[in-house]
Parts: sequence; structure tokens; C-alpha cells
Amino acid sequence: MTFSDAELERYSRHLLLAEVGRAGQEKLRAARVLIVGAGGLGSPAALYLAACGIGTLGIVDFDQVELSNLQRQVVFSTEDLARPKAVAAGRRLSTLNSEITVVTHALELRAENVGAIFGQYDLVVDGTDRLSTRYLVNDACVILGKPLVSAAIHRFEGQAMTYVPGRGPCYRCLFPDATTAAVPSCSEAGVLGVLPGVLGAIQATEAIKLILGQGELLVGRLLTYDALEMRFREFSFERRANCAVCGDEPRITLPLDLAATCHEEPVAFRRLRPRELNALLQDSQLGGPAVRLIDVREPAEYAAGHLAGAESLPLAELERTEWESTAIGETVFLCRSGARSARACAIASRHGLRKPSHLEGGLIAWAAAIDPMLHVA
Amino acid sequence: MNCTVRVASPLRSYTGGAASVTARGETVAELLADLERRFPGMRFRMIDEQGDIRPHIRLYAGTRELRSLAERMGEDRVLHLICALSGG
Repeated sequence: MTFSDAELERYSRHLLLAEVGRAGQEKLRAARVLIVGAGGLGSPAALYLAACGIGTLGIVDFDQVELSNLQRQVVFSTEDLARPKAVAAGRRLSTLNSEITVVTHALELRAENVGAIFGQYDLVVDGTDRLSTRYLVNDACVILGKPLVSAAIHRFEGQAMTYVPGRGPCYRCLFPDATTAAVPSCSEAGVLGVLPGVLGAIQATEAIKLILGQGELLVGRLLTYDALEMRFREFSFERRANCAVCGDEPRITLPLDLAATCHEEPVAFRRLRPRELNALLQDSQLGGPAVRLIDVREPAEYAAGHLAGAESLPLAELERTEWESTAIGETVFLCRSGARSARACAIASRHGLRKPSHLEGGLIAWAAAIDPMLHVA
Repeated sequence: MNCTVRVASPLRSYTGGAASVTARGETVAELLADLERRFPGMRFRMIDEQGDIRPHIRLYAGTRELRSLAERMGEDRVLHLICALSGG
């Protein structure tokens, strides 16, 4: 393969590096990289990968650009508002480097399409903002034998790791399951705008090293970054022989949609500390806005002790419950520790309830802070 | 003995936003019990009803992974609470 004069000039700083050089730049040009999620992580990763001359760059995203994205999603401009993210990102990347091919996938990644899309690429960069998609991407990469560079962020903290088939553990080896996790998304917890810039640049670095076959990868190493402390840390982890997807006897042999079981879908809900809920209840008794308390624990737990006025509606029933979007006042979900009630917020939100709330720390926290006589089963 | 506990970002809502707290104990169980006394509800976010570390949580003593509540901190005086993050 030959490079044009323009390409030789464009990539001249790479060509000066012995670790890249002409041979390495040819590898980059021949590479096909897919970025899942054109968000905070995907934006800087895509910009750097386009700039460095990745020959084929794919972008998967089904969202549209919103004003609140522009604080950190640097691939977009104000003029992109309301445009499909994949399309807007593709336009920007083509402007940055017209020598490369940008492929846009303006769709939701699902079990039914992940194989066909991933099959077009050599490696995957995961910058999604959903745990369910994170597991779908990991499982598909393991099953299809594709390297994966994964990262995630929360407020001021980030994590990154790399999976290379046959060389180390996968994301499920690190965190086997997050279906019981109450992990808030950026839209709910907030995020420092520059944080994904750091992690996305790390992902681009790992992708480039993978393609070049240079350096030491984050294989079996979880890199964590704390922006407030300005400190990186590293934690090693190993392949699990019983991993559901890359283990010796895998139970997951086809990509699965986990959206129904991973409940951390981006949803705005209010977290109430015990004192805040207590103040709301007192205010309500004095004529303030109504507060509806819903205890989502199992009936036996509810029977053993519950807050006065709380209705019992076990979590399993929530999927069958529709909510009036015009309901007045505050609906607060309760459980033992706050994990199930956070999940209840996500489920109820999907079924029409606007701005649900939950008691953070659950009834255990309530008993510790407000009412030590409450028996919490 | 006191240990420094480094708190994962999603768990800091329990520690009033503190990234680092101290806890007393020799084993993981003792340290988490001490955390629970001061930050109610925090232990259950990490440990399930069967006493197992939840699958989206990892605990490290320094750089050594801790796989059960019975494990001792030993020479390591920093307990790291690592939690899966979902944001992108």
C-alpha cells in the first residue's frame, strides 16, 4: 500500500516513531474499529482514532444530540442539536480526516443485530452508558473473538480495561453480574465534563496499541482514575474458570439482551435521605404535598415491620403496574437497604411514573436515623 | 486496628461524599461491620443476604483481591471498595 503526499504529511509525527512508522501506519489504515456509544467516552475516542488514521471507523448510537450532552461530548457542536448522534459524529469525523471511512449505525445495539455489526470490525471500543449494553458488548466480543477496550465513568471516577481473546479475562470475569446493582447513570449522578476525555483517550490509546501490537495492554488490569485526587490506581484480576461467557463451560453462547434484568437504565429519580423523607412526611401532615409510600419488599418482610402508611407492593408486582403520569405529590419507594427501591424507581419510570423517589439506605438507614424501634426484617 | 477505606464513587452517598474513611477491624467482615455501624445500608450494597460479595463489587487489600469476608487485611492497611460503573 502506498500513502499519498497528503497522508505522509498528515501522519508525519507517527511516521517518526519507530513503534509506528510506515508499517504501523499501514496497520492503522487497514484497521476497522467500532465505537459503541457516541457519548462522553466515545467522543474523544472517536476523534483521536479518526485523527490517527484508523481506516474504517464505525459509530453505533441511537440517541439524538441534546444540549446537556455538549458539556462533555466533544465530537458534537451546538448546531448538531436534535440530530442523530451517529450521523452528527460521522460528519464531524469525516471533516477531521477525509482519508478514512466512517460508518454510522444509528440504531440500538441488541442481541439480534450485534453479530452482524461486530462482524464488520476488528475491535470494539465500548463507551456505552448502560450496564445492560456493556454486558451485551462483552459477551458478543467473547463469542465472536473480538478484542474489546472497555471504560466507564461516574461523577469524578473512571475505570478502563482491555479484553483480548485467549489472552486474559473479560468484563464478566471482573464483574460477573450487575443485575442486582443500583449503579446510577451520568444523567442521574452527574459527571465532570472532562472526566470521559481522560478515559476516552485511554481507550483510543489501547485500541491503537492493540492494532500496532505495541506496548503493554490493560489485560487483566483494571485501571481506575480519580479526578479529584488526580490519582490512577491499578487492580489485577484473573479469568474466572466459571465465567458465564469465557469460562471453561460457558452458559452464555449467544449474545443476550439484558435490558429486562439490568435495571440501571438512565432514569431520573430522587434519592431521599431518612431526614429528608421525614421532613416531607411531616410537611405532608401539615397540608403539604401528598407523599405515597410504597414498600417493595416481600410480603413477609413487610409484615415484620414497616413505616406507618406504607403500602405493600413487592418488586415483582411492579412490572405489572401502570402509573398515572399526572399523579400529584411524591411517590417514594422503600425497601430494606435501598437497592430494590432504586430498581423500583427505574421500573416504575418505564411504566409511566414521573420522577419517582426512593429512600436511600432503605429502612435500615431509617431505623438508624429516625426510628430505632422499627423492626427491619 | 484502623484501616483506610477507599470508597468507590457510587458508594460515597453513604459516606457523606467522602472518598476515604477509616474503619476498625482485622478481617473484611469486621471492617464492613464497622462501616455499617457508621454508614447504615452501605454493607448491603456490597454483601448479599448469603454473606457473599456482590458480583458487581470487588474488594482489595492494597492490590491483593479479597474473595471472602473471612479474609484478613494482614500487612495491608488500605481496603479498596471497587464498584462497577455504568456511565459513558
